[in-house]
Parts: sequence; structure tokens; C-alpha cells
Amino acid sequence: MARGRWSPAVLVVVAAELACSGGGSGPAPPAPAGARPAGVLTIGALSLSPGREHEVVQPFADYLAARLGEVGIGHGRVVVVESVHGMVEELAAGRVDLYIDSPFPVAFAAEHGSGLKVLLRRWKHGAESYRSLIFARADSGIETLADLRGRMIAFGEPFSTTGYLLPKTALVAAGLQVAGYQDPAAAVPPDRVGYVFSNDAESTVFWVLKGKVSAGAGNEDYFAEMTGERIDELRIVARTPSLPRNLVGARRGLDPAVEAAIVDVLLAMEDDEKGRAVLAAYEETARFDRLPQGEEEALAEVAGLLQFVAEDLGG
Amino acid sequence: MGEPARVPRSWSTGWPRPRLGLRGRFIAFVSAVVIAFGAVLTAFAVKVQNERLRHELEERSKLLTVVAAANATDAMALLEIGELRQLFLEIRQQENVVDVVAFDEDGRILTDGTLKNPRRHQLVAEGVRRHTASSDALLLEFRGAVVEVTKPVILGARRLGGVTLSYSLTGLAEDQSAFTRRTMLVGAVFASLSLLATALLAAAVTRPLREVTAATRALSRGEAAPPLPVRTTDEVGELAAAFNEMTARLRATTVSRDELDLILDTMGECLVVTGVDGTIRRVNKAACELAGVAEEALVGSNCRRLFRAPAGSQSLLHAATADAMAHGLETALQTAAGEAVPVLVSVAPLATPGEQPRGYVIVAADLSERLRVERQKDEFVTMVHHEVRAPLTAVRGAIGLLSGGVAGQLPDSAKELVAIAQRNAERMERLVADILTARKLDAGRMDFQFLEVEPMALVRQAAEACAAYAGKYGVHIVIEGDLGETRVRVDPDRLIQVLNNVLANAVRFSPPGGTVNLHSSRTGSTVRIAVTDAGPGIPESFRDRVFEKFARADDGSWRHRSGTGLGMSISKAIMEELGGAISFESAVGAGTTFFVDLPAAN
Repeated sequence: MARGRWSPAVLVVVAAELACSGGGSGPAPPAPAGARPAGVLTIGALSLSPGREHEVVQPFADYLAARLGEVGIGHGRVVVVESVHGMVEELAAGRVDLYIDSPFPVAFAAEHGSGLKVLLRRWKHGAESYRSLIFARADSGIETLADLRGRMIAFGEPFSTTGYLLPKTALVAAGLQVAGYQDPAAAVPPDRVGYVFSNDAESTVFWVLKGKVSAGAGNEDYFAEMTGERIDELRIVARTPSLPRNLVGARRGLDPAVEAAIVDVLLAMEDDEKGRAVLAAYEETARFDRLPQGEEEALAEVAGLLQFVAEDLGG
Repeated sequence: MGEPARVPRSWSTGWPRPRLGLRGRFIAFVSAVVIAFGAVLTAFAVKVQNERLRHELEERSKLLTVVAAANATDAMALLEIGELRQLFLEIRQQENVVDVVAFDEDGRILTDGTLKNPRRHQLVAEGVRRHTASSDALLLEFRGAVVEVTKPVILGARRLGGVTLSYSLTGLAEDQSAFTRRTMLVGAVFASLSLLATALLAAAVTRPLREVTAATRALSRGEAAPPLPVRTTDEVGELAAAFNEMTARLRATTVSRDELDLILDTMGECLVVTGVDGTIRRVNKAACELAGVAEEALVGSNCRRLFRAPAGSQSLLHAATADAMAHGLETALQTAAGEAVPVLVSVAPLATPGEQPRGYVIVAADLSERLRVERQKDEFVTMVHHEVRAPLTAVRGAIGLLSGGVAGQLPDSAKELVAIAQRNAERMERLVADILTARKLDAGRMDFQFLEVEPMALVRQAAEACAAYAGKYGVHIVIEGDLGETRVRVDPDRLIQVLNNVLANAVRFSPPGGTVNLHSSRTGSTVRIAVTDAGPGIPESFRDRVFEKFARADDGSWRHRSGTGLGMSISKAIMEELGGAISFESAVGAGTTFFVDLPAAN
């Protein structure tokens, strides 16, 4: 299941790196030879745990900044915000140069005026893409999404792409009307598909297995591990389309030279021993690469699904 | 360097067996007791501590399991696995917790507190499932160093499953190890202190013994042993006091080696100590001086070179048997100058009764001076015999002729002078005779002709022989008692000589008109002839010298009655040769009785 976190809550900007001068980031004039350039590269992150997020992202920012000296960057900084709207503001104001996250929040930010430009794909947790499964007990009689009408489905966490956003888009795209509940035992109208948040991928599986809910949804990559020897007791009702695991977006107005240099450094990281170590420490990232269908096309595909869950992202 | 200490060898191995003195044995014994006691105490303490720790850890594991189950109840009821995982993650971080799982009512594992949760959906053990299905009590199972505690989770009437917590007893082992180390450390310190105390105690206990040993060795070397300090009043103090008492008595009753050396070197006699083969081991100063040889030259040589063999013996040492001494052996000591010095030797084996002699002790007295005196005596006697007796016989004969009128009738005045001359001649003749007799007795040259006779006949003969002499003093000799047929084995002439001497003395000391009683009796096997006078008695100061030669009392009135001064000495010597004895009883002013005692022959 995806662990990317975002919230439609009020913007809270946490500047984890306060050493740099304020007023936005960007390249500075080239520094004299031997001296560290004064330019700062700011990476934005979305999390409810800014301390931990900063701890995870800062080494990556340092690595990247250290290799952008030729374009006037000498320092890396991390800015953590609690909501995607906050990230949109940071990007729009030019205080965040790079935003790396799951496809939906990146697409949301791009669609809501930040002028974000997708540069690359990030293989987070070693995966290039991911998708969701919707499953039910094999003996439940549920074989299609339509069979979920009048039943309750368990999603994972409200901000999870594979645990919630993707399966919800699948339900809505299938013409089903979904309604959220707090109580898994609540009565669901026959024309609706009720859903509750289990807030945990394991809970989702157990809820389905033990009949607490009729169906559940989660990341396909972890399904076999989560069901274990009881996998035969479950039936996969539907699979959602695959989405890139993470997208790397750059703010509008970022110096093209800097942008190009960033792309070069990120693409070359997997070839460098130190780069691989930094990637591994950065949420087990395998590599950065270009999107096979092209950045614009990829963003458009995500944006096509975003309409079904835009309200969940605060849209 | 001293002689190496002899170390006893083990009978079994032949290797030297270590010698432990009293102190060593004392220390070893007390140490063994202390160590054994410490080991038992340590084992007991460890056992108690182990039981306490085990009980404590069991209680801790049970409490933790109960708390975990209580906290997990709601999450298990709602299947909030994430919350349950977080709870168990915290439990996992507790000390000694090895594992913790929550399982549902079917016994399938919900979570173990990890994200990976590899046992997810697996069934717990059959026994655990049965227990949680039917009980609400704790289930404890021990698997090696881990105790597994299972607590069924029940909400109202609904059985939700259970919680199994695996709790390591490694901590117990570590605590045990630490406790054992501490206990052993304390034990080692205790044992060390005990050993030290034991060593000090042993030293204190054995110190008096060492002092006694040192003092005893000093004694054995002939040195003076200093008094031992008596520090206590216990047995040790008594031992020191007893030793002091013993050494004091030894000092009072024995001589030290130095004193012994001094004594031996001041002896007039020669002392020679030999081994059993006659090798001289020790000589005294007198022997060295007499032989004219230094002590170093004598020691190591054989005593045959020093002493000639006595007559009748192969050697001097042959004269002494293994268990008896030989006395009075006359032989000669060979001097360095080649002179043979006559010596009178005693040889005694150096041995305790019943043992083979370790050597011999030879004591030799130089007879040179004595023989010289004897020779002078013999020369004097010879001179008296030839130069006095013969002329005296001629004088006495001439006086007898004059008295018999061979030269004509002598005027009365001349007769009186001739009578005086005759009495003095006779007196001188008796004196010479006594001197010759005494010399013969001294030299052992007196012949004795032993015959078995009736003593009464000899008594009568003696009385008759003295009758005339008694008559001159107006004294009567009265014979009393009767021996009947009692016989004695004597030389009759010598016994009569003794009786005559005694009777003559009695007559001389009897007052005129007095009586001398000659009383014979037999008591048992002893024949006694008592001669009693009524004279003045023998003065107290003279009684010890009555039988000495030429002995005379200082009392003037008593002295003029004495004879030659040899009679009683001769009588005593004769009686000893006859196997009898002579003695007397006397009271001043009440007379004297001489007893002549002889053994009866029948």
C-alpha cells in the first residue's frame, strides 16, 4: 500500500532548513572557483511528520545540490507541508523548486495553478508503478464491481493512492455511487457502495476474511504477502490501471539550465555508488527515469482519474 | 652446606611425598573445611537466588502478558490490526520479550508487532488453541530459556483469541551468572581471609611447638635451652611450663656436654670410647697424656694399639661380654715412647639392656704409682724381715739365755733389766710379725688352709692361749655359750689368730680383776663369737678407724693400752678371707664387744 501522505488540511509550512536566506530559492550567480555556490535548491515534501520527512529527504537534497554547482546551486533545503494545497502555494511562490510525490497529489498540484512540470519518474520502494486490487471473500458471491452495491468495502488510509484513491476511481469509473461510513456494520443502500477506512492494509485483509466488510482494496504488490496461506479464501474482483510510483515535478519558472542539470544528476544517480546509497536511503528508491509514454502524457493520464477523487484531495 | 633434607617417598609411586607439618595440616584442614562450607553455602545461595529470580521473571512475564492482553482487547475486537501492531511493537521493546503474537478465536495469528509479520494467518499450537477456547487462565510453557505465556482474550461472552508472549530467561541466566560471580568473589575473598586467619592461627598455635622443638634440639646438641615463654594458661601454656620444668630438672640432674667434657678431661683415669670393632671414637685428656699421643692421632685408631690384651684374653674388648662389664683387668698401655704403662682397666659395653653394644667404654687407671708403692712396701718388708727380724731373734735368744742363767746367776737388779729387755724384744717381734702378716695379706700372699672344724674347739684354744696373757693383767676369760656340733670351714690357725687379737685387746682394756666374756652362739647359718670386756669403751672419734692400720686413739689413757696398731686391721683382712666378718659395739665407760661372725658349714 502506498505510504505517501497528504491532507486537505490548512496549509502549514514547516521550514526544516532555516539556515538559508528567505525570499524563495533559485540559482545564484556562479561562485568563484573553489568556493561553494550560494544558490539553494528546495525540495518540497508532504507529510504529517515533518521531522522524520526532513530526516529522510535532506541527504537526497544535499546530494543533489552538491552536484549542481555548475548551475550556481550550493545548498539543498527541504520544506515539509501538511497539505497538497500548501504545496501548491509553495510551488506557486517559487519557494519549492522540486516536488516529488505520488501521481495524484503531483497531478493535483499541477492542475491547481502551481504550474508544476513533470520531469521524471521515481522508482519508490523499487517499484516503477503500482495499482490496486479490489477483493472479496471467495464464498461471498461478489464477482464484479457491480456486485458491491448495497455492500460495504474497506479502504486503507484516506490519503493512500492504492488504498483509497485508485480503487475509489475504479468504483466511480464503473458507474457506482460510493458513500463513506464510520461503522463497518452500517446499513448500505442498495444503490450505493458503502466504504469505511480500516486505516491499515492488514486490517483491510482481516476485515474481509472475517466478514467484517464485504470487500477490501489495497496495493497489488502486497496482496500475496498480506493474505498468505489464506489467499485462496479471497477472490480478486477488479484491478485498477497502473500509475507511475512517484513523479518528480519542477516549479514553474525554474531556470531551464538548473532543470536540465537536475534531470541529468537524477538520471545518473543509479550509476554512482554514492548515488545508489543515497537512493536506497531515500525510501528505497531504485532509480529515476523518464516516463515511457512521455511526461505530458503520463500527467494527462493521472489527471484523467483525478476528477473522481479531486474532492478527496481538497479540490 | 648441610645435609639435604630427607624426603620420605611414596610407597606407590616412589616420588617424594610432600611433608606437611602440623601448621600445614592445620591450614589444609581448615582451608578444606572453609572451602567446602563456602561451596555448599554458595550452591545453596545460588539455588535460592535462582528460584527467586525464576519466580520473579515468571511473575513479570505473566504480568506483562496480562497487560498486553488487556490493552489488545479492544483492537482485537475491532480487528484494528494497525493499532494492535503498534501496541505489540511497544511490547516487543520491553526487556526480555522475545516474541509476542495476537491470534484470533480460530488460533490464526493476527500480528506479531512487526510490519512484515511473516506468520500472519498461521495457526498457533494446538494446545494453545484448546486452552484459549476453554479457559481464561494463563498458560505457561517453558521452552529452553524461554517461557511462553498465553492469555486468552475475552470480551464479555465473546472469545476473541489470545495473546502469547515469549519471555526470555536469558536474563535469569545473566542474573544467575552475575550472582554466581559475585558469590564466588565474596567466597574467594572470604576463603582468602579465612586462609590468612588460619595461617595466623596456625602460626600462633604452632609457635610454641616450634619453640619447644628448637629448645629440644638445643638440648639434644648439649646446649642450654632458654626458658620458653608461657603466654597462656591453656594446654599450650601448660606444655611450655612443663617443658621449662623438665629442662630445669634436667639441668639439676644432668650435665651438659661441655660439663661432661670438662668432667672427663679432669678425670685422673683414662677414658677411651670405641666402636664395636675397637676403633677409638673418643679419648679424654688423661688417656692422651698417659699415651703421649694427641687426641687427633688416637681417634680413629684401634684400641689394640693402645692396650695390650689382658692375660687370658685375645684382646681387651674380648674381656667384656656383650651385656656385662669387665673390672679389674690388669694390662698395659702402650705409650708413644714405647713404654708399657701398667693399668687397671674396666671395660663396659655401650648398650642399653637387651641391645647389641654400639661400642665400648674403657676406663684405665695408671698403676705405675701404686706398683711403685707396693714395691717400696715389699722392699720395706724385706728389709724388716732381713734386717730387723733376724737380729731381733738373735737378741731375743741372747736375752733368753741370760734370763736362763747361761751366763750365770744374775743379780736381782740385772734380772729386772733383762726382763724389760725380753718384754720389749717380744713386743718388737710381735710388731715385726704383724707387719709381715699385714703385708702378706695386702699383697695377697697369705696362705690359707681351709678345714671344716668345730669352732668351739678353736674358741677354747684361743682362750687357753690368752689365759697367761690375761693373767698378767689380772683378767679372767670366761667362756660362755655352746655351738654344739656346729662346724665352720676356716683356716683354724688364722681364726685363732683373730680370736687372740680380739681377746688380747679385751684383756688390755679390761680393768684389773675384770672379766672378758667369750660367748659363742649360732643364729641361723651364722656363727657368732662375741668378746666382751668391761673396759672404757672405744671413743666416739676413733670408732671409724678401729680397723685401719696403725690406728691409735688420741685419748692418752686409751693409747697406752694399744698394741702394734696392726692387730685389728689384720683381723679384719683375715675374716674377709675366711668369708666372715668382724664388727663391734661399744659404749664409752661401759665396755666393748667385738663380734666375729662366720658362716656355718652345716
